Amino acid sequence: MAPPLRLNAVAFISPQNHPILIRTFEKGDELKYHYVAHTSLDVIEERSQSNGPTKSNDCYLGLLYAMDEIAAYGYITPLKMKIVIALPLTDSVVRDAEVIMTFKALHLAYYHASSNPFIRLHDTPAGVGSAKWKRFRRKVDEISRAVGGGSVPS
Amino acid sequence: MQAAHASSLSALADPPARMVDGAAMDYLLIEAVNALRVSSAVASARARKIERDMLEAGLVPPPPAKQNPRDSASSTTGKISRPADDDEGVKSRLEAIGMHVGGNFAERLCRDRPLFSDSLDVIKFVCKDLWVSCWDKQVDNLRTNHRGVYVLQDNAFKPIARISSWEGRQEALKRAKLYVALPAGIIRGALSRIGSQGTVVPEITTLPQCTFQIKLLKST
Repeated sequence: MAPPLRLNAVAFISPQNHPILIRTFEKGDELKYHYVAHTSLDVIEERSQSNGPTKSNDCYLGLLYAMDEIAAYGYITPLKMKIVIALPLTDSVVRDAEVIMTFKALHLAYYHASSNPFIRLHDTPAGVGSAKWKRFRRKVDEISRAVGGGSVPS
Repeated sequence: MQAAHASSLSALADPPARMVDGAAMDYLLIEAVNALRVSSAVASARARKIERDMLEAGLVPPPPAKQNPRDSASSTTGKISRPADDDEGVKSRLEAIGMHVGGNFAERLCRDRPLFSDSLDVIKFVCKDLWVSCWDKQVDNLRTNHRGVYVLQDNAFKPIARISSWEGRQEALKRAKLYVALPAGIIRGALSRIGSQGTVVPEITTLPQCTFQIKLLKST
């Protein structure tokens, strides 16, 4: 009976490498997770370019890197949108299935938000602070609570 | 607690699918084209009125060279026949709506599949998954010249399968051209959301057969 996973932060990055949403669930400094998201982008690009003959067609990228008590896991959708989650580095085993399910839930929340035709009128995923993305933020919070986060989002 | 967490997460990850009545959807799409045709006629009449008013007030030099964004045709000084004028407006609106819908469809359908390996894979996804989810069948024939041009042929394309006109086959064919603008937009939207920019040109030779010519710009 391993203790439930805690989600530290979630980052959505658009196909053009713009940040869509970066949400942290730990009372720490938010900027650290922006930095984590940037570094993950580099790792993802490195992995998707160097995979010449053994190119894996999987969406789930697994553990990207671990730094400074944060373990970053990545997921890339076929539409080139990237989702990165930061989990605290623990010794307990992190089950792949759970992480994959978290990614699928996050992807679905993004899909629900972006299918609202009034949000993406000019097809620019910018301006996430506005009121229209509130439901998306709420869904992401709900997912993090379902995973077992429990701490207040900052 | 573990079980509760696991089940709520899986409910969030994979909610039960919600269904829409198929016949109602078909009716909606047919009526949408008609409603947009009327609405576009009103909009272009309004634009023409403004042009005329500006002409009379002397704000615009006599041969109106002003580009009206609603008229997607080139700026000609002669009289464009009104039906063709309105048709272009409706077609571009339908394509824009289709692009939105196609992009969202692509997002939804790409949830459970692995990454695309090359542009042929993208086209095959359009032929199979997109066609099945929008129009209940797969594309009948796919031809390519391996240089970025693909021709998709459907022998009984659903939106125009039941179209008929009391003025005869030719008239029905002409009317049908409007109804394929939305599907062309859906295909184009899906392709652009996946990342392959290109153009989609629908052609109807005989009802209910329809071909789409897709020209992709970049080659991955």
